[in-house]
Parts: sequence; structure tokens; C-alpha cells
Amino acid sequence: MLKNYFKIAWRNLIKNKVFTLANIIGLTSALAVALLLVMTALFELSYDQFHKNKDSVYQVYLSSQTPRGLESGTSQPVPLAPALKADVPGIKHAVRTLSDDTFATYNDKEINLDAEFVDPAFFDLFTFPVITGKAKNPLSEKSSVVLSEKSAQKVFGTVENIVGKTIALKLGKEEQLFSVSAIVQDPPSNSSNDFDIIIPFENHPEYASNIDRWDSQFHLVYVQLEEGVTPDQFEKNTQEFTSLHYQGSIENAKRDGAVANEDGLFMQFHLLPITDMHFTSFASGAAVVKRTFPYMILGIAFVIIFIVCANFINMNIALSEKRLKEIGMRKTLGAVKKQLFFQFWLESLLVFTASTILGLVLGNLLLEPFKSLFNTRATLEHVTQPKILLIFGLSIFCITLIAGGYPALLMSRLGTLRALKGKMDLGKNRLRNSLIVLQFAIAILLISGTLVLHGQIEFMRNKDLGYNKEQVISIPLNGKKDSYQVVALLRDELKGNPNILNISGADNNLGMGRDGSSMSSMMGFDYKGRGVVTNALTVDYDYAKTLDLEVVAGRTFSRDFAADSLSLVINETMAKQLGEEDPLSVRIPIDDGATTYSVIGVVKDFNFQDISRQVNPLTLFLNNDWDLYYAYVKIAPQNISSSFDAVEKAWGSIEPQAEFLGSFLDENVDRTFRREKTMATIVTSGSILGILLSCIGLFAISMLVVAQRTKEIGVRKVIGASVSSVALLLTKDFLKLVGIAFILATPIAWYFLNEWLQNYAFRVTLSPLFFIAAGLLATLIAFITVGTRTVKAASANPVKSLRTE
Amino acid sequence: MLLQLNNIFKWVQSGGQRIFLLKDINLEVQEGEFISIMGPSGSGKSTLLNVIGMLDAFDEGEYHFLEDSVHDLKEKHRSNLYKEYIGFVFQQYHLLDDLTVQENLEMPLIYKKFKGSERKAMVADMLDRFNIVGKKDLFPSQLSGGQQQLVGIARALISNPKLILADEPTGNLNSKQGEEIMDLFKQLNDEGVTIIQVTHSEKNAEYGSRIINLLDGRMI
Repeated sequence: MLKNYFKIAWRNLIKNKVFTLANIIGLTSALAVALLLVMTALFELSYDQFHKNKDSVYQVYLSSQTPRGLESGTSQPVPLAPALKADVPGIKHAVRTLSDDTFATYNDKEINLDAEFVDPAFFDLFTFPVITGKAKNPLSEKSSVVLSEKSAQKVFGTVENIVGKTIALKLGKEEQLFSVSAIVQDPPSNSSNDFDIIIPFENHPEYASNIDRWDSQFHLVYVQLEEGVTPDQFEKNTQEFTSLHYQGSIENAKRDGAVANEDGLFMQFHLLPITDMHFTSFASGAAVVKRTFPYMILGIAFVIIFIVCANFINMNIALSEKRLKEIGMRKTLGAVKKQLFFQFWLESLLVFTASTILGLVLGNLLLEPFKSLFNTRATLEHVTQPKILLIFGLSIFCITLIAGGYPALLMSRLGTLRALKGKMDLGKNRLRNSLIVLQFAIAILLISGTLVLHGQIEFMRNKDLGYNKEQVISIPLNGKKDSYQVVALLRDELKGNPNILNISGADNNLGMGRDGSSMSSMMGFDYKGRGVVTNALTVDYDYAKTLDLEVVAGRTFSRDFAADSLSLVINETMAKQLGEEDPLSVRIPIDDGATTYSVIGVVKDFNFQDISRQVNPLTLFLNNDWDLYYAYVKIAPQNISSSFDAVEKAWGSIEPQAEFLGSFLDENVDRTFRREKTMATIVTSGSILGILLSCIGLFAISMLVVAQRTKEIGVRKVIGASVSSVALLLTKDFLKLVGIAFILATPIAWYFLNEWLQNYAFRVTLSPLFFIAAGLLATLIAFITVGTRTVKAASANPVKSLRTE
Repeated sequence: MLLQLNNIFKWVQSGGQRIFLLKDINLEVQEGEFISIMGPSGSGKSTLLNVIGMLDAFDEGEYHFLEDSVHDLKEKHRSNLYKEYIGFVFQQYHLLDDLTVQENLEMPLIYKKFKGSERKAMVADMLDRFNIVGKKDLFPSQLSGGQQQLVGIARALISNPKLILADEPTGNLNSKQGEEIMDLFKQLNDEGVTIIQVTHSEKNAEYGSRIINLLDGRMI
């Protein structure tokens, strides 16, 4: 019996080769892509889930009511963690962590390492298993460090027998000796904490000077709560603590007219589960946890699966019309409903099984290109867990049951006589049409998303940022030498080169450099009885000239003035905040009047932060005691690549040990919207695949519709219809569906894209053209798909179609 | 003279061999004739009718229709020619299922780009002439076979063709309905319409003024 089922199923699939092939190709590609997308999404969602204590460990952040509204931040002062542990009940551990670079020396080998300065309890909170060495409390000694497996390989060339060995680390300006106490496994790729080496917190060069300062905030704090203590209780328990330690700030906030929150507080500590960290944004003031990106990917995977399933259902129902006689015949021979259902369902099952296997193979083959294209570190390991495999298998089964079972059910339920007469009246066209409408609505949604995403990226790329990004190279100063000395040496080395126009330095980068690090530095002070907050940037001479910043008032720092270390250059927004008619008259006393800074110039606003943000107040300092971290080299517009090589060569002679990570600022700016680009790539590929699959479905359906209407086409032609009028008649029905899809999809697309664009301070205007273009594109593609079929049918000789009866 | 066929051959290639569907057909039709084509199944009756109706091509020979040489015409001109001068009636009626009687009658006029008011008048005229005004809003499936064929003939006549080609118009009808249809053809012929019909029945063939007998694609 079963063998017979298989035989019939096989023959039927072979008989309808085109449809079987269309289904298998569609299903295979959809399943492969869905697999990869689900993998990416699960990887994103798995961020920081590997920590055993993830349910009781939190990141501490502080919300402050300011005159500018609510502001939240995770940067904390040094005394906070010990004070929390001592004064607030319910806290098991409080740990400070600070990411920084350090320079390791071992046997003449010098290596730049990504260091994490932490308190010893770090290993109680976070799960980074020890491979060799002290498994318990490896950081108990102040002079002990923990290395990751990878960095141990880098420094020692091996992971064997290095526990107890001594390495020298350059911390701040001096070098200290440390002994390796343990090697831990490399942090997994889905960890927010990434490090090469872990160093006890007390060794950080900023530690000693800030040990009692509550107003200098530069590191993160994590807490583990005692069992049974909730974050709410923590928030309540810290209220008194906060009003004690932040008394000064709270009074300033009151004085400057900030509004208290609903609890009547101006400052409040909150806890963020560590599993939410990866998805949290503080841009709006409050902590907003958004898993939009992974859910969007899951959504795209889902709609792609939906599209192919709709194809499958549509084709199967349409094809079943050809088999009505067979069904009737089988029924007269005594087949019962169940047997018929099983017969038809088996065919679907065969197609699905083949597609699933092929899909898995294809997914595996596409894995590497996918990873580089979409810039993800996800691996199949994130998918091949028993639980997920079970869910995956179950969903495939369900899809097969629905997509294959529904047409089978329809057919098996038909009355015998009706089937024999070849009449099927199931209102099937309504289902078919709604599925096609949904498919195209999805396609239009994705296309308009693609257009808007690319529009925004182009907008960001082409926006005038207020500085010269095409001609300026920024170089991370990752070497061992003093930064000012390096900049001076660069100037020296490149002096004779006519293509090198200017050289300067600063303590922060513009955009995202190849070193991949980003930071911001803010400071606040009182000016005329009012709190003022500004971003701070330490620069070298010629900064404005190198970056082509426009000076709107006064002058910039100059070697001709000896006292410029007490001068300030501010941007327009800062000038507005200070509120003086003549900003050059501003004098700012710091440290209780011990020193007074004076503003000497105002530069035009430029986007020194991400383009998604408004231009904030900025103050430029010139102070040789504060290190620079980036050098800027402006080159002539001619011979760009040879100039770049010259800069790289100069760097090699100045800092032979350090890798040259220089890059043009426009690359840096591009890098800041890498996420948007990844998103655009995913949405674009999703929409291309979506529309392609929809077209396969539409093509097959148009083929069947044309077959159904052969007689009608023949009659119309015989009584005088032209080819074009018949083709139009057939195509019109389909285009109507695309039109409905357009009307359905556009408001939804508009809503979501508008929401998304709100994330950007500078954004492209959401013009109706985006949607019209998407609609036209979908229509055009549908027209071509259906048109090829219908024109062929319309130009066929009517005698043939009329003869068959 | 309405049309003239000279040495028409039509064949299909099968396994390296030519199988002749029409062999050396010579035929001249004057305006106002009523011709019956007879012959056993597979003798090429329908093929000949389709060739005359320009729905099917032939492989050799000459075909003159009024002033035109059909064998030299392009597909487009050929279809314009038959649209203008020829009406078709089928054994299976071939009405459009989704359209009412009235709409079925209107269709050829739409394709010939008549104006709306003109179409209405012509359709009303035709409904009147065939006594089917009361059925104008019914769908083909709601009519009997005879009535459907009546509509089919009305549709063929509506654009005033010079020639009606009827392929076994009574084949699906009972004898009484068949007689009525044949009487109608006779009447139309008397009014001046040229008719060529294919038929199996001797009795129906008698309605014609001339009978052409076919056997294996040859006129005998």
C-alpha cells in the first residue's frame, strides 16, 4: 500500500515537472536563507546568555534629572562600588570594570593588548572558565593577571606552563611587572565583554587619583544581588544612599530648574540585566532595551517562508483541478477520505523533505559568504542545540502539514460525482488571490524598506559633516612613545613632502577608526550660577586647519601665544549654551578659581559624534599634560594613494613596533553606520528573494490560469479579439492584486520606516516617491512575470484550443 | 465570386512521413451559396473549414478571398480579414461562460471598436430578430442547447459577415432543435448570407445548394 502511494506520488511529481521544480527551488532557497537568518537572529539574542549567574547580575546605571531632561549613563565613579557593597543591603558583589589598552612586554616581544581592569569578584559574576592556573579567585593578588587563551598564544607562543610567569605591562607612563595566575577560555563571540588580559582594578593609572572622587566617572559597575532580592528593592534601597553621595549634583539640578521624577527624586540608580546590555540604548535619556534587529531578521525569515508556502498552497490547489477526474475515479473505486488525504499529503511531504535536505546543504554552503556579507560572527553552533533543532523540526512539520495538508484536505473532501464531472467550486480563487496579495504586500514592504534604508545611508554618507573627511587620515596612536612626540616626529618626517598639508592630533577620533574603539568625554562646571555640560576634546596645534573647520569668531590655538594652554575654543552650540552676546568675553574659573580659562575662538558646528546624534556642545583644550590618542594628517587632493603610503612609511620609521591603523575619515564615518549597512544588506537580499519567490508563484499561477482559460481565449480570438487585448485581459487580473497589495502595504511601511528614522537626528525625508517607486517596481516585475505567459497564450492559434473537447 | 481555393495541400510531418490532411482542394464559392461539406470522421471536413476561415494555415496552394490573396497575407491582415467578413458557429457553441447573452453578443462589436450606443442598438436588433429578448440577462449555463446555439449564431451574425462557417452546428442538439437551427440557416441564406456548413447528416446537407464530399482529404 505504502509503496503504491510512493509510486503514484513520484509519478505525479514527475508529470508536473515544472511545478515540482519551481516548488523545490523556491522551498530550498527559502529554507536555506531562513536557516541563515534564524542563525543570525539567535546569535544576536544569545548575547551574554552564557553567564551562569545571568539572572542575578546587573549593570548599574544612574538616571539624572537635568535641566535638559532625563539623562542616563553607565559611567560610574571609583568609590561607588565599595560604597554600594558596604552601605546597601542585598548586594552580594559589586564589581568595577574598565576597558583600556595596555602594552605588554615579554622577552623583547611587545604586544598591544585589550585589557579589562576589574575587581576580583569579576569571576564570580561572569562565566569565563579557567583552563589552567588558579581556578578560584585568580585575581586575589594585586600583581596577578589573567590572560585569555588567544593572547597567551600571542605573548608566550603557548598556553602550557605559563602560570606564574612574569610579564611587564605599560600602565599609564610607567611599566610594572605582573605574574600570570590563570589562563581563561577566550570570551565567546556573543559576549559583550571582550578582553585579552584581565588586570586588578587598583592597577589602573587613574585609580589612585580618583579613589575618593565622586565627580569623576569613567568605568562600569556590575552588581550581583543576594538571592531573593529584586531590582526594585535595590532601587528603593539606594535612594537614601544616592541623596547622600550625590548631594552636590542634586542641589545643582534643583538650582538649574530640573524637574524631579515621579518619585520626587533627581537621581536614581537602576539595574539593567546583563542579558539586556547588548540591546540597550541611552540615547533618549532613559534606558531603552530594543531587540529590533534580531526580531526584524526573524521576521524576514518568517515572511520568506510564508511566501514559499503560499506558493506551494496556491500551486497545489490549482494543480488539483487537473486531477479531479482522478479523485472521482478513486472514489468510485472505493477510496475513503483518509486514503485520499494521505495520498496527496505524501506528495507534499516528499517535496518538503527533499527541499529541507537541499536547504540544509545550501545553507551550509552559503555559510561563509553569508557571514562576511552580513558581517556576523554567528555560527551554526548557535542553531544546532537540541532544543532549537526540535523547534526547527517541529516547525518544518507544521509548515508541511498546513501547506501540504490544506490542498489535500480540499481535494479529499470533494463529492464523487462532482469530481468526476470535473467541477471544483471551492471559492479557491479568494484564497489564492489573498495569498498573492499578501505576498506582494510583503514584497512591497521590503522594497520600500530597502529604498529608504539605502536613502538614509546615502544621506548620511553625503551629508556635509562640517569637516573635511575626504583628505584627512586619522591614525590611532597605539605605540609606546609619548603622543606629542609622535605627532612632532610625524611633522618632521613628512615636512618635505608637498602633498602633506597639515598634521595635528586629538584625544578622540572622528567616526570609527580601524582600532574599533570609541569614547566620549564630558565635563561639567558652573558658569554664572548655572550648570554647564560640554564634551571635551584635547587637541594639538593646527587642529582646525587640518580638518578645515570654519572659525566663525576669534582665533584658534596658535604657537604665537604662550598662554594658550588656558585658552578654549568652543563650538557654536556651546556658545549658545553659555548665552553670552560676545562668546569671546567668557572667562571660566576652574578648581575654585585657582585657574581661569578664557574662550579665544568659536568654530562652526561639526558632527564630532555619530551622525545619528545632534551636534552637542564641544570645548577644545590645548594641554600638553593630557595625552593625544589620534594623529590627523591632511593630504593634497592629488596623489592620494602615494601620500597615504608616505604617511604609513613615516609611521613605520617612528613606531616600528606598532601596527599602522590609519584610515581616511570618510571610511571612519562609513564605519559608524556599519549596522545600518548590514541591516540594508539583509533587507535588500530579503526583498530580492521575497519578490523572486513571489514571482515564481505568480508565474506558476498565471500558467495555470491561462491553461484554465484556454477555451475562452480561443473564443475571444475567433470573434475578433487582438493579441494585445487578450493579453491585457489576462494580465489585468493579476495587476489588480498587486494594486491592492500596494494599498495595504504602503501605510504599514510608512509607519515603521518613519518610526525607524526617528532614531536619527539627521534623516532623509520620507517622501512618497519611495513608496511609489516600490509599488511601480513590484508592478513592473509582476507585469513581466505574468506578461510573458499571457502574451504567449494570447498569440496561440485559437483552432488548437477550440479543438480540445 | 466570394472565395477561391486552388490546389490547396495541408499536411503534418509524422515519423519522416507526410500525412496529408488536405490534398489538392479546388473550390470556388459564389456569394449567396449554401454549401454543405460531408464526409466520414477524419476526412478533413473541419480542417477545410478552418482553412477557409483562415484560422488554420495550409502548406501549398492559393487562396483568394474577395480581392485578397490569403496565402500572401501576414497573420495580422489575415485576422483583420476574417474579423470583417466571416462569422463562426461551433458544435459546442463556445459562448463565454462568465458573460450574459447580451454581453456575449456585444463582445465582437467591442473588439471591432464600435461605439457604445451603436453596440446597444445592434445587440437589441439581434435579440429582437432571434426572439431572445427575454433571455438577454441569462448566462449560457441557464439556456438549453438549442437556445445556446441560437445565441452562437446571433453572435456570428452581429457584425454582418458575408460568410458564415458552421462546424456541425446541430451536432449537440436534438432533432427538433436541429431542425429549427437549419431553418434559420435557410432563412439567412435566403436573405443573402453565404453559408458553409460541415455536417454528418444527409438531411441537414439537403438544406444546402451544393454538397462537397471529402474522403481522406480529397474532394470526390
